[in-house]
Amino acid sequence: MTTPESAAGEGNLSEGPNETAEPDGGVPDGGVPDEVLPEAAARRLGHGAWSSALSVPDLATSLALGFEPAGYVQGFSVRQWRWIGYYGAGFSPAAGMGAMVGPRVGPGEYSEGWRCPHGFVAGEHRVYGYNFEQAWVERSWAEAWGAAYTRMIEEAEALGAHGVIGVTDDMHYLAGTGAAEFSIRGTAVVVPGAPRPSPPFSTFLAGQRLAKLIEAGYAPVGVVAALSSVQMFGYCITRLQLSGSGAGTWSGGAPGVGAIVQVGKAQRAARHLAREHLRRQLGGDALHGATVTEFEQEIGEGDLAVHCTIKGTRVRRFKDFDPLPEPEPVVRLR
Amino acid sequence: MTRHTDLGPGRDPQAGLHQAMAALSAAPPGGRGVTSDLSIDETLLLHSVGWEPVDLVFGVSWWSIPWGAWQWQTGEIAEASSAFAGAFAEAAQQMREECAQAGGSGVVGVEIEMRVAAHHISIELTGTAVRRVDHHQAGFEFISDLSARDFALLTRAGWWPLSLVVGASFVVAPRRTARQWAAQQGQNTELPHLTEALYLAREGAMARMQRAGSDAGADGVIGVRLREGPLGHSARIMQFVAVGTAVHLAAGSHRPIAPTMAVPLDDAERTFEAASLRSSR
Repeated sequence: MTTPESAAGEGNLSEGPNETAEPDGGVPDGGVPDEVLPEAAARRLGHGAWSSALSVPDLATSLALGFEPAGYVQGFSVRQWRWIGYYGAGFSPAAGMGAMVGPRVGPGEYSEGWRCPHGFVAGEHRVYGYNFEQAWVERSWAEAWGAAYTRMIEEAEALGAHGVIGVTDDMHYLAGTGAAEFSIRGTAVVVPGAPRPSPPFSTFLAGQRLAKLIEAGYAPVGVVAALSSVQMFGYCITRLQLSGSGAGTWSGGAPGVGAIVQVGKAQRAARHLAREHLRRQLGGDALHGATVTEFEQEIGEGDLAVHCTIKGTRVRRFKDFDPLPEPEPVVRLR
Repeated sequence: MTRHTDLGPGRDPQAGLHQAMAALSAAPPGGRGVTSDLSIDETLLLHSVGWEPVDLVFGVSWWSIPWGAWQWQTGEIAEASSAFAGAFAEAAQQMREECAQAGGSGVVGVEIEMRVAAHHISIELTGTAVRRVDHHQAGFEFISDLSARDFALLTRAGWWPLSLVVGASFVVAPRRTARQWAAQQGQNTELPHLTEALYLAREGAMARMQRAGSDAGADGVIGVRLREGPLGHSARIMQFVAVGTAVHLAAGSHRPIAPTMAVPLDDAERTFEAASLRSSR
């Protein structure tokens, strides 16, 4: 089994299958090699009936398409987890006038600063404001998600599968432990007689949607996901606006009704970063059926952490789009 | 609109699957990958009417509402209504710019998230920029929350989407007098101050949305969705938000689409609740 250490830091979570294709799939003779899987998992996967999370219609469609289920494969990673907490040297967000040095960010990482227009200093007055990318959160998330994904793919490979369809993923907190569980699962499938890609492909799709994808000329390469994290320490104007105290000449010109620029920029940066992190995993292929999830945490008065995940199936065109006939509208009579 | 994937006799879906497996052994194409939140059905439908996805695009704007705006007045809260309009316009403008930057001509399937808090309003737009398959560029053409299916149907009928239009109004109802309060105790009776506040908010929001449609050169606004009722932080504040897609008749006259009647032969799904298994005693 791939350990967290060996899976960590993989820039491309869904490295596309490459030229090391093998002739045919199928469960290897003599069961599943146990050097890559926990012993019990190797024993279970190597014997007995196959398992699958596919619904009956999805199973029927998959069989008609030429997939044979090989087993319900799963990957997990449990991590100590927190979303915020690292500010970089010399940066003290709790301080009012003290935040004179910006957060430390790596080359190419997003950061942006604002400075108080008032020209005075007071204990509770935030003179500087910063938006900055929390690359360490992004890396942790990518490592955890990547570890779970790699372990699922290892199980599929051990079964001699060509790919994993109907993938689902989840992240949830383990109560009272300060830890989060990342899990990814799906149904490993074999395509008898077809070259076996290495590593196996994966897709969130199954059943008729997968059939239509392939019929349309797209091959599923792998599920891809990226998280971005942006921390925002509001400067005085942002704090005044978020607390409703922005109006008045003493606010330094912030309008009572007006754009809260720093928050808007943090929100946009989170989305753009997630999109670009994910685009780097595509290798020029396309991302299909993306789901975008954004959430934020208030981490203090006028301070936010904004996180955004984008997930989807990386697909590769293997034939030209057949022009579809113009769809025929129908009224379903029930 | 439907299109069935033919997996029946006469077709060899496995040939396509083997081709797909072989393609996975090739090197990735390189370059800038397309990103899209469209489903495969939507991608196919869009392609059938001459469009393809280019990139995921966003628009986000937060606007402030000053302290006291909700507390010290009754009637429409102009600060909140204009903050909503400002935030929406800014987010839509960002989305247009991102679309143009990605080489798109329009945005379909825009998801709209709106939040109204005591001191700020946030508008968050997510959609997929699309361009014509023949790469004919006619400048920026539309933003729409219509699905790809609705977009295909709309254009087939001779109409064209222009932009998302929105109207919002927030009204604080006056407090009841002590006499009114006492007279209404213990009765199921209308509360006119709240009904009137709702009507006032409705008129403000609908008028703004329709005016925005006219300003965009639209003949009408379709797919209007409403959000109305009391705001979370006070039962006396009535909100009314109307959002839809402004459309105009591009073909000179409406083209009837004459749908075919279809009788599905699959059984309707039977459902029951556990409660129905209980005896009637």
